[in-house]
Amino acid sequence: MSFGVPRWLFSRLIGFVGVLSLGAIPIASAAVDFDHEIVPLLRKNCAECHTGTKKKGGLSFNTRESLLKGGENGAVIKPGDSSGSLLLKVVLSSDPDEQMPPKGDRLSAAEVERLKLWIDEGAPWTTGFSFQAPAYEPPLHPRHPTLPPAVDGRTHPIDRLVDAEWAARGVKRPAPLEDGAFMRRVSLDLVGLLPAPPEWEQFLDDPNPGKRGAYIHQLLTNDIAYAEHWLSFWNDLLRNDYSGTGFIDGGRKQISSWLYQSLAENKPYDQFARELISPTSASEGFARGIQWRGAVSAGQTVPIQFAQSLGQTFLGINLKCASCHDSFIDRWTLNDAYGLAAIYSDKPLQLYRCDKATGREAKASWLFPELGQVDPDATPSDRLKRLADLMTQPENGRFSRTIVNRLWHRLMGRGIVHPVDAMQTAPWNADLLDFLAADFVDNGYDLKHTLELICTSATYQSRSEAVRPGQDDHGYSFAGPRAKRMTSEQFVDAVWQLTLTAPTSFDAPVVRGRTDPGLQSKGHWIWAVTNPAPAGQVITFQRELVLAAVPKLAGAAVTADNRYTLYVNHQKVKEGGNWETLDTVELENVLHAGTNIVTVTAANGGNEPNPAGLILELRWQDEQGRWKALGTDAEWRWVMGAANDQGEVAPASEWRAALEITDEPWKERISGEMKGAITRIIRRNMPMVRASLVNSDLLQRALGRPNREQIVSMRPNDLTTLEAMDLSNGSILASRLQQGAKNLSGRWKSTDALVGWLYPAALSRPPTSQELAAAREFAGPQPSETGIEDLLWSVCMLPEFQLIR
Amino acid sequence: MRTLDLDPGSPRRDFLKKLAAAATASMMMPAPRLMGGNVFDEKVVAPPARADACILLWMGGGMAAPETFDPKRYSPFEVGLPVAKMLSTFPAIPTAVDGVQICQGLEEIAKVMDRATLLRSAVQPDLGNILHSRHQFHWHTGYVPPQTVACPHIGAWMARMLGPRNPVMPAFINVGQRLEGVGESEELKAFTTAGFFGNEYGPMNLPDPAAAAQAVRPPEGMDAGRFVNRDRLFRKLVDQSPQRDYLSDYQQESMLRSFDNAHRLLSSPQRVAFDISLEPKDHADAYGEGHFGKGCLLARRLVENGARFVEVTTEYVPFLHWDTHADGHSTLERMHREIDRPIARLVRDLEERGLLDRTLVILASEFSRDALIEGVPGSKASDQTTHPTDVLKEPKHYGLHRHFTGGTNVLMFGGGLKKGFVYGATADERPLVAVKNPVSIRDLHATIFTAMGVSPKTVFNIEQRPFYATEDGKGQPVTDLFARS
Repeated sequence: MSFGVPRWLFSRLIGFVGVLSLGAIPIASAAVDFDHEIVPLLRKNCAECHTGTKKKGGLSFNTRESLLKGGENGAVIKPGDSSGSLLLKVVLSSDPDEQMPPKGDRLSAAEVERLKLWIDEGAPWTTGFSFQAPAYEPPLHPRHPTLPPAVDGRTHPIDRLVDAEWAARGVKRPAPLEDGAFMRRVSLDLVGLLPAPPEWEQFLDDPNPGKRGAYIHQLLTNDIAYAEHWLSFWNDLLRNDYSGTGFIDGGRKQISSWLYQSLAENKPYDQFARELISPTSASEGFARGIQWRGAVSAGQTVPIQFAQSLGQTFLGINLKCASCHDSFIDRWTLNDAYGLAAIYSDKPLQLYRCDKATGREAKASWLFPELGQVDPDATPSDRLKRLADLMTQPENGRFSRTIVNRLWHRLMGRGIVHPVDAMQTAPWNADLLDFLAADFVDNGYDLKHTLELICTSATYQSRSEAVRPGQDDHGYSFAGPRAKRMTSEQFVDAVWQLTLTAPTSFDAPVVRGRTDPGLQSKGHWIWAVTNPAPAGQVITFQRELVLAAVPKLAGAAVTADNRYTLYVNHQKVKEGGNWETLDTVELENVLHAGTNIVTVTAANGGNEPNPAGLILELRWQDEQGRWKALGTDAEWRWVMGAANDQGEVAPASEWRAALEITDEPWKERISGEMKGAITRIIRRNMPMVRASLVNSDLLQRALGRPNREQIVSMRPNDLTTLEAMDLSNGSILASRLQQGAKNLSGRWKSTDALVGWLYPAALSRPPTSQELAAAREFAGPQPSETGIEDLLWSVCMLPEFQLIR
Repeated sequence: MRTLDLDPGSPRRDFLKKLAAAATASMMMPAPRLMGGNVFDEKVVAPPARADACILLWMGGGMAAPETFDPKRYSPFEVGLPVAKMLSTFPAIPTAVDGVQICQGLEEIAKVMDRATLLRSAVQPDLGNILHSRHQFHWHTGYVPPQTVACPHIGAWMARMLGPRNPVMPAFINVGQRLEGVGESEELKAFTTAGFFGNEYGPMNLPDPAAAAQAVRPPEGMDAGRFVNRDRLFRKLVDQSPQRDYLSDYQQESMLRSFDNAHRLLSSPQRVAFDISLEPKDHADAYGEGHFGKGCLLARRLVENGARFVEVTTEYVPFLHWDTHADGHSTLERMHREIDRPIARLVRDLEERGLLDRTLVILASEFSRDALIEGVPGSKASDQTTHPTDVLKEPKHYGLHRHFTGGTNVLMFGGGLKKGFVYGATADERPLVAVKNPVSIRDLHATIFTAMGVSPKTVFNIEQRPFYATEDGKGQPVTDLFARS
């Protein structure tokens, strides 16, 4: 078979790269490194009088052109001829009227040698490099711009700002988005899921003019769906993952549980950032970065990673250049990057320039001293606390602008500043950016508030722009939202939604849903008489539980230092050997009315006496639906030795009361997790497991879910050939579709009914009569399983499906 | 049921009929930009290509040079033999080149050494504890991890700079390495990637060469007829989507073009290249039954059909294959068998098909090994040097077990390189470091890039910073390896 892509297209594509490899002679490498050797030399010796706006003697070093043009005394450089160059003469001269620099240290012999070589090599210059500071410097402080008057009754502040922009540029307002497309877009944008057909139908039929606002609000109040969608965005931005490089030997720590709960409870963003910068043990993984085994370059030590991550994530500032040398592209210097790093470093931090020690020590400082400074002599934890306060204070407008720009980018397909990590570049509308940022701060750094604000604007609710190739080549002009490609997680979730094939378990170490802050846990750490306990000591604990009726639901959370086996009514129900993990187990099928016996054999490990403990909490729902609890405490009894396979101990055993451990060493690590574990027991019937919660697989990786070793703020927007191959014949997707067809074949007996459900479910619109006819022609009136599978595939591959339009 | 009624006058378009001839670079996300000049403002000029295709034979796990292509004084196993005396555990054998010897067990390769350039002085820096994953990352990307941007694999560089040789063939194919369910798989994934170039230039991974045909076949359980019908339905539904007129041509068409490219391969005559079961039996037998041999056979078929860059590995699995931490001698007897016939056959096959001159075959490993006994109770791998044992006691101690970066072999064939040529040398007594013409990874990469017609100074602008094909753009090709043309 063959398909009709014209040959000329391919020859064009190939030709494009082919040009690069057309033969010519290789050139010898230059011996002098302009960036690393000449720039610092010129900066140190010449910049004060001859760069930026300074032009002593009419000479400017700003660009190669200005330097070659020379000054009042004519040319100073003859490329290729150092001995004929005035520059070399004056740096060598000892005549006070002639010598350069006129005051201070002369150039060292080595510096002169580099300069000479550089001129002899033709004075090469990095393309685009200039000593002149860039024309645009983003403002630091927040600003409340005056909103232009509303036009045509469009009173929403975003519309007022955008309408003014469009009026000034003569851009035609895009048409409003129809209900179904709006619903699909906003649902995918806010919670990452396709709207379900009944919900869709109801929405279309709803005559209430406020229905869009109500729907937006409904999406945002779905804590679970919201958290599990935005988890991917934040995992990318905080380079958090459940597996990956560095975990192998503890060089990296997850913040998953902290992150999930922060999203589920919509933690104000200033507090969120404070907890990442000045972290607790649950959130320290971000600041700690990835510690690689073996030696790493000076630009990748943990403190430098901290500086880079902080700059990129919270400020959209790229400190990667400045981690090695003063940046050529913005105003950040090596001192700035090391200053930030030194705040984190608990040891004196040597300053390295391009991996070479400078012999100087970095002094803790942060990037905007105008807002206050960090005391370099304070303790590391106090320095971090101070940094967190400086970063998140309302006067730091760069902090708020950076995050609202990221949210705008996710919703509108392109940033107000773009790319979103290049916040040193000018926004296409400063008033809009400043308004969003100030409004965000005024509303308590509430991320959901800003999302809601954007989504309720007519600007957001308009049709996406039809983009032509090359359109942005000469600058971007806002003409409405741009269609976004579904992220890997959105695509996989959508397929799971349609095929009912979501997995039942997941990998993220999180408790789904919001933990009830008022929840009290009843379990205490217990052991036998002494603690620390002898190494290898084995104890069996027991407690009776009398129930009036069989509980509707029940479960237990349990762990022991170091191992346990749990028996309920003489049945082994759970065992575990990792004291750092609270295990949970469902128990409604083993508990009965009357007296139940709960037995746990726990064993201490180690080679010498060490802390030993057991903690367990049992929860059950009584006939009235109330949740009851029973936890380990002094009411439990114990005997020495292990129980048998039925959880029984020798009949003549003498039971003694357990010891409650008050000064427990597990507090930080485990006890705090108990509420989450209880929530896991109480909350059943959770919604579909989401792709964001499982480890990346071949399909997710193929669709652009990144290895989270670097911070990622924008996923690729294009589908590549290899991705298309994976979608066409990859086994992961194929098996989901196959299973999906099985699941759906019982539900939809006719092709009409199937397609009548599938199009709204997948595309939030009804099929056209032509589409229906095509499906009927393909699958016949009653579709076979393979027919359903192929229809599912074809619809999921449509650009209309894969794009959030 | 709701249906959407279409304006009958609305013109329908055929799938992809109006393809814009745009490159696939994204507009939403700034693709890394190829810079016309390097930081010296010199024009980056591609050297004339000596080879069109490249096959990297990867000896993952650390192939001991003194046990393969750089034999030293041979010591047979003997209880009580001082370890300090043990340099090679295989005797040297002659090769087709006078005066050049390699280790016993590699008799077939010995016969084709007159086509080879043997580099005996490749060196790597010590990245601390000499960890496999970090050295593999370094070898494959040219950069020491970690880096602040995701570094592309050398195969991705070839894909990005040279593109596919045949438009239907993926430019970068990675054969024989499982990336799931093996130790250190996350570390492997970190460099088995196109990095900042984006997925378009990433590897097509074929972990099992015997099952490679699956990658270009319809999904399991779907016959060709159904596959074609499904695609027809898809095209029809694309044409009938009423949204087609609302969505930008650019976004739709870039997506549809990718589907079309994918289907071109899945329906192309070249797809048979992936199916090694189609190889005549006597010929397939010459490659042996091993995983690596099948990979070599697959690589030859792929290159014959227009592949640009193929990596074939013996597979890196911690403590398996070349990663010998005990029983080194007996394990290497097996590894010799695993590679000897397939490599010799691959070279001859390429030669017989007239492809060897324009195909660069490179055999390499992340580092070499030296003698040392491991397995002292209570010692960790990282402490290995502090727990030496003086004399051989058991056969499991016989072999080279310690990671060593001072002198590593790279064996190359074809691609415009000299024939029957040895470059560089290592010391004859411990430490067996390169004593003549040491070649760094940077310069080795520069040599490979140059042979393939890519300038080692090629530079991309990523996050407004330059990123070079070889570190800092300073890789120098070892021109002595190139035959005069």
